Amino acid sequence: MARPRLSRRDALRLGGLALPALALPGLLSACGSASGATGAVLRVAQTSDPKTLDPQKQGDLTSMNVLTNLFDTLTTRGPDNRLAPGLALSWSSPDPLTWRFKLRPGVRFHNGEPCDANAVAFSINRLLDPATKSPIVELRYVKRAVVVDESTVDLRCSAPDPIIPAKVSLFGGVAVPPDYLKQVGSAGFAKHPVGTGPFTFGEFQRDHQLRLRANPAYWGGKPAYDELVFLPMPDPSSALASLQSDEVDIVAGLTPDAALQLKGYTGVSIRNYPGIRTSYLSLDTTAGPLRDVRVRRALNHAVDVPLLIKAVLDGKAREVPTMFPREAFGFDPAIAPFTRDVGLAKQLLAEAGFPDGFDTSLTARTDDSNLAEAISGLLARAGVRARVDLVDPGTYTSRLTSSNRSALGPIYLAASTGWTLDAESLVQSNVRHDRRQSRWTNPEADRLVDAEEQSLVPADRQRAFTGLQQLLKQEAPFVFLYQIDNVFAVNTRPQWTPGVVGVLGMAKATVTP
Amino acid sequence: MTAPVVAVGRPAAPGSGVLRVVVTKVLTAIVVLFFVATAAFLLVRLSGDPVKLILPPDATAQQEATLRASLGLDRPLLTQYLDYLGGLPRLHLGTSLVYDQPVAEVLFSRVPATLELAGAALLVALVIAVPAGTFAALRRGRAGDTGVMTGVLVGQSTPAFWVGILLILIFAVQLQVLPASGYGGFAHLVLPAVTLAVYSVAVIARLLRSSLVDVLGSDYIRTARAKGLGTAGVVLGHGLRNAALPVVTVVGLEVGSLLGGAILTEQVFSWPGLGRLTVEAIQNRDFPLVQAAVLFFAATFVVVNLLVDLSYTILDPRVRVTA
Repeated sequence: MARPRLSRRDALRLGGLALPALALPGLLSACGSASGATGAVLRVAQTSDPKTLDPQKQGDLTSMNVLTNLFDTLTTRGPDNRLAPGLALSWSSPDPLTWRFKLRPGVRFHNGEPCDANAVAFSINRLLDPATKSPIVELRYVKRAVVVDESTVDLRCSAPDPIIPAKVSLFGGVAVPPDYLKQVGSAGFAKHPVGTGPFTFGEFQRDHQLRLRANPAYWGGKPAYDELVFLPMPDPSSALASLQSDEVDIVAGLTPDAALQLKGYTGVSIRNYPGIRTSYLSLDTTAGPLRDVRVRRALNHAVDVPLLIKAVLDGKAREVPTMFPREAFGFDPAIAPFTRDVGLAKQLLAEAGFPDGFDTSLTARTDDSNLAEAISGLLARAGVRARVDLVDPGTYTSRLTSSNRSALGPIYLAASTGWTLDAESLVQSNVRHDRRQSRWTNPEADRLVDAEEQSLVPADRQRAFTGLQQLLKQEAPFVFLYQIDNVFAVNTRPQWTPGVVGVLGMAKATVTP
Repeated sequence: MTAPVVAVGRPAAPGSGVLRVVVTKVLTAIVVLFFVATAAFLLVRLSGDPVKLILPPDATAQQEATLRASLGLDRPLLTQYLDYLGGLPRLHLGTSLVYDQPVAEVLFSRVPATLELAGAALLVALVIAVPAGTFAALRRGRAGDTGVMTGVLVGQSTPAFWVGILLILIFAVQLQVLPASGYGGFAHLVLPAVTLAVYSVAVIARLLRSSLVDVLGSDYIRTARAKGLGTAGVVLGHGLRNAALPVVTVVGLEVGSLLGGAILTEQVFSWPGLGRLTVEAIQNRDFPLVQAAVLFFAATFVVVNLLVDLSYTILDPRVRVTA
């Protein structure tokens, strides 16, 4: 890791401070990061460490970013974002309550243990066991996993679930080694995880560094470099400073405005890739002016999403017609976004009996304050005076999932990542009238949600989703905003293309030495 | 300058020895820690429900209830409280809800990094502040005094995170002589330690200056000078020793605020210490971890205060009589 730190930057930047400092580098780098790295290394900074290295006990992006490189799942996402074989080569549904997976033969865990039907069934059943305390909730309709033969596993469900194959592309479908777990226990496993993935565990010093080594025996082929290092850096400014001073190669998880700090630096660049995290305003249609559909449409016409993307998100987002991202199954390109028209918005408000607009409030998480202020400004143009209420992320989540559906006020800014790439994930908790975050009652919407959630026939599901999008646009129970890009700051070394889901699988990356 | 005996802030117990002072102090400390433990327990539970943060927002109420039960958070508050208190004497601090590891293990793995940072910062602070304060006191009212004290005031009124970012920009980004962040060798320690020390330099230097000015104006210094001792002898042999008393108090307090102030510095420099751990634990509503971290900080303050008190009896024989 000893690099000529000074050679890469132009001498002008050094200024008068350079002379006394020139004596320092040799002295200091000798005591510095002498971690004994060999071969090509890729260093990734993200905001925090994985919470745990047990893949069945986490569910947040920073944990998944690391663990996706250590573990495999039954299915995965190909470069085209379509569902692709992972540990399972094929899958089918012999009856509405069963999903059958045929496993890839010959896969072994990093300790040599076979990853067969027994291991996969053990993994799913461990996840479902309440004693595991797993925060992974996607397999809610799976009762248990059953071994059919050495390379076949059945997932038995309590209700039909058409998107199980998509759900097991996430950590619900992760394989963990049964013998090793019996040997070392859950605590031992979390200290030294053993998976089937492209990298093997090296060492983990919490809040300092996590080192993974390329797995030469990986069934998908050995990665093109030797070591993958994750560095937790909570402060984006210092992460970017580390990038500029050649201590990291990739800074992940940046907001567009944080990334803007890098403008004008040579050798580092901001890369943005299409993402699926979709933002919207939830409207309380049960009380006040928002009960009137004309008012809800007016808000949609008033919020100029393209302008919002340009002004606040540095162009790094895409407008969405309703709340489904383009890449999700169910998205219908025939449905156009609302026209952006302040005049029309004012007219609709007047028709609804609010010629002078009205006062309301817009709640958002503290880290979305810029967006909330901008949206409030756009609403104000049409006469809707929305006071911005900011709450910390923890409070926000508690109120969002509380039994009081008005706990976040009449309007709140929300975002969902539909990891399954199925539109069901975007509406499952906030559209059907009896779901936790729903603030809208519409029998037709309930019928369409039931149709897409219970049918196993893709064409029927697509029809239900199309109907749902038409209805969402017509009744406007939300203000539809955008799907935001995944933003990375990188130096010139790494080449890779992240998937739209945004989890940092680095197996296919290459690194210039 | 306040008289040191008042600064100790405890009732006089005439005729007692050092041992008696220690015993009283330790008992007081236990009572203090009991109240801190109780406050931490209650406050962290007022702050929200960890289950809501562990599970994704689309979890069902049933899934929340299952997890809550398996974490033991569905038990009556009193049961949880008694369990928690009962575990404390044996250092059974529970299991972190987020990391799924014993709290003591998580906590103590971070203590070395924080102590290293706070220790280095204190060293930097003393190395700069003692000469600066002494110099200013000897040059009282002259340009040197004004210059040093102005510099020190600037340091005191500059926020630590800003100093940190500034140092990173100069030494890591522009000059590339020191790492911007991380943990490892001596090089990684320099910038965070300096950042953290800046505020303490100011506090210690200012106090030392005024204390020394007082002492140098006193009768026994005049006596010492009259006996023919040189300036260096007077300052080192009599002045600094007597001026040290209030400074020791403030250095002790600084140890506490260095540990606590490390929170921002640890964020900026990605330093793997307790401060960062605590901030994250609070954000995650990780009850057992927050409780333990709060108790650890409180215990550190208590121990440091105890040491400060004891150091008085060594530095100033008069205190021993009234203690």
